[in-house]
Amino acid sequence: MKQRATAIAVVAFLGMVDALYLTVMRGVHIPCSVTGGCNEVLTSSYSEVFGIPLSAIGLVFYVTIFSLAVLHAFEVAPLMRWVFWLALPAFAISLVLLWLQGFVIHHFCQYCLASASFVTAIFLISIWPTRRQQIQN
Amino acid sequence: MSNKTKPIVIIVLAVALAAVIAVYGSRKSVPASETASKSTIEANSGGGHVRGNASAPVTLVEFGDYQCPSCGYYHPIVDELLRRYPEKVKLEFHHYPLIQMHPHALAAAMAVEAAGDQGKYWEMHDLVYTHQREWSAMPNPESEFLAFAAQLGLDANKFMRSVKSTDVEKRILEDIQRGSNLKVGGTPSFFINGRSVDPLPDGVDKFAKIVDDALQTPNQATK
Repeated sequence: MKQRATAIAVVAFLGMVDALYLTVMRGVHIPCSVTGGCNEVLTSSYSEVFGIPLSAIGLVFYVTIFSLAVLHAFEVAPLMRWVFWLALPAFAISLVLLWLQGFVIHHFCQYCLASASFVTAIFLISIWPTRRQQIQN
Repeated sequence: MSNKTKPIVIIVLAVALAAVIAVYGSRKSVPASETASKSTIEANSGGGHVRGNASAPVTLVEFGDYQCPSCGYYHPIVDELLRRYPEKVKLEFHHYPLIQMHPHALAAAMAVEAAGDQGKYWEMHDLVYTHQREWSAMPNPESEFLAFAAQLGLDANKFMRSVKSTDVEKRILEDIQRGSNLKVGGTPSFFINGRSVDPLPDGVDKFAKIVDDALQTPNQATK
């Protein structure tokens, strides 16, 4: 259990850096040597919800996940279930954002793809114990 | 340190470290390729609006969108190139408003074209790019464009007639068609003497290097 929490904390930390970078760079030309479409994606109308940048929402998500994972790893409280319930909608939202990049905006943002990978990893690690318990049962 | 304070300290330190890394990354520009790629996309020059020495050996064709932040970023870079190579480089600007993403891009292009009808195309082009952030955030930037027209001493009625004229619209549509034919995927898109500049150079010095390379191969001059 501790190893899983540590793994989630590491991935959430990477997500924090990614989301913080995008939040700091909001409204500024951003280097995009891999996918080439970052600025189109990050300045599109889909880059914010009610005026709040998605990167800022992502930052809150990653800080929360990181905190839960660390508290769980130190056995302050069993919080992995909370990680799963936060990661589940985040994973669904990542799929929607991926679809928007591919089929509506027609550009991909490398930082957004990295974030989608981090969310997917957190989600998969969070469901792993549940699956194993089911097999044992 | 107790077992309950340890995780709090780790969380605070991690957030601080992430902030340091993110801010450091935002200040450090990613080096781009120093030369233009050997793209097979070629663009013959012609049409559009030309700035600089008309007989310059290097033609820098730009497909731009006035509401696109990257175009705003490249605007002073292109200006600096024209200053560095006053006799050797000319800019040929074409409108390529990405209407789906930038709701005011077409209105901005029409305002610049309309100013061109009164001989102030480049003055309006500069104003619109320089104040991009302000008018982009407005629900309807028409009043801002009118204010720019007044600042340039344009006849307001004539300006408004031009903005709504089919002639201005036609010129912009021709530019968009030209860009589509060249498979322009995003903005800004640059071509130097017909060759696509891809990836975009990060900074004026890297762009100048591409111009230097083009100057050393004069046979590629634009038809």
